[in-house]
Amino acid sequence: MNLPKGSSMDAYTDRLSEYLDDEDLDSLDRARIEDHLDTCSACRAVLAELRDVSARAGTLTDGAPAADLWPGVVARIATIPIGRPAARRISFTVPQLVAASLALMLLTGVMVWVARIGGTRVDIEPMAAAPGGDPRFTPAVEIADFADVSFDAAIADLEKALAAGRDTLDPQTVRVLEENLRAIDRAIDQSRQALIDDPANLFLNTHLAAARQRKLALLRSATALATKG
Amino acid sequence: MDQDVASATAGDVRAFEQLYRAHLPRVHSLVRRMAGGRDTDELTQDVFVRVWQKLGTFRGDSAFATWLHRLAVNVVIEKFRADALRRRRRSDDESVFDRLAAPRQSGDVSMDFEAALEKLPDGAREIFVLHDVEGYKHHEIATMLGISAGTSKAQLHRARMMLRRHLNARCGV
Repeated sequence: MNLPKGSSMDAYTDRLSEYLDDEDLDSLDRARIEDHLDTCSACRAVLAELRDVSARAGTLTDGAPAADLWPGVVARIATIPIGRPAARRISFTVPQLVAASLALMLLTGVMVWVARIGGTRVDIEPMAAAPGGDPRFTPAVEIADFADVSFDAAIADLEKALAAGRDTLDPQTVRVLEENLRAIDRAIDQSRQALIDDPANLFLNTHLAAARQRKLALLRSATALATKG
Repeated sequence: MDQDVASATAGDVRAFEQLYRAHLPRVHSLVRRMAGGRDTDELTQDVFVRVWQKLGTFRGDSAFATWLHRLAVNVVIEKFRADALRRRRRSDDESVFDRLAAPRQSGDVSMDFEAALEKLPDGAREIFVLHDVEGYKHHEIATMLGISAGTSKAQLHRARMMLRRHLNARCGV
């Protein structure tokens, strides 16, 4: 705020702290205040006193409290986890997770429906095993092993690791993660049920394998996030 | 000191106590001056508890003392923001001129000045302490307190004028 020429003495007095501190005072105001100080001994006296007040503030000495406050501090921090940042919580936005969950369920339903109604059917002729395992007789599509021990073991290991680290994940993330896993489990179950009736169905076999891979991938990702956090 | 910071950050309470002991006089004085002598010990403990909680966020971008003092200022400000009584005291309280015009004659100028500081209205005292004692600039104070730089300047001038009266009265001017 500029000082109009011919301002009252109070107007100048009110700006003396600004003049003293020399913060953000424009050159015009500074010049006018200096002109006024040249002619006003009262303002010069006030300025000197303000300077004295400010200087005293800079000379204050610090002192410890009369009582020892440490017992009170240590009693309080004893209940608080050590002074490091809270474990990084991994989270996705709810719309992202819900959309992923819905898309997965929709995809699973459509794929199973397609497989049952009009999916590509591959009839695999029974073949005698060639001596020495002639590769020419290796089926183009690997028929899913419904009781895949290695798959179940891998899933179990990942689920165990995820359970151990799930506290580091955002609860909302855990909830949606579990929903996704349930959706994949449903897809796996549906595929398996459908394959009981139609074990040679290429589409169903592919879909079952893909669902298993999705479950493995999801569990691996979630476990990595949990152990990283 | 740096080793104490690192150890305390890792959860070493003894290292944290070293930090506490090293910085206690400065923090306690800062809190006492800003709070006008009210709840000083409790607020000082609040500051160190907060430091323990926040140690992990100290990245060494500034000196530890600077980081700690800024955190102490924030603790006091937060405390006062929640204090409805303070809102009333922040309002213009011209009776402070009467109180300040009758300084105790303790013979210790520094103590008298501290006593006069405590009697200032909260808003003026906070800004005086932050600016003239702690060395913050008006734009920094404005950000910390959520006020304009102009208000900070006006309150600082008000505080200085009150303290000037106090010093004049003490000297019999």
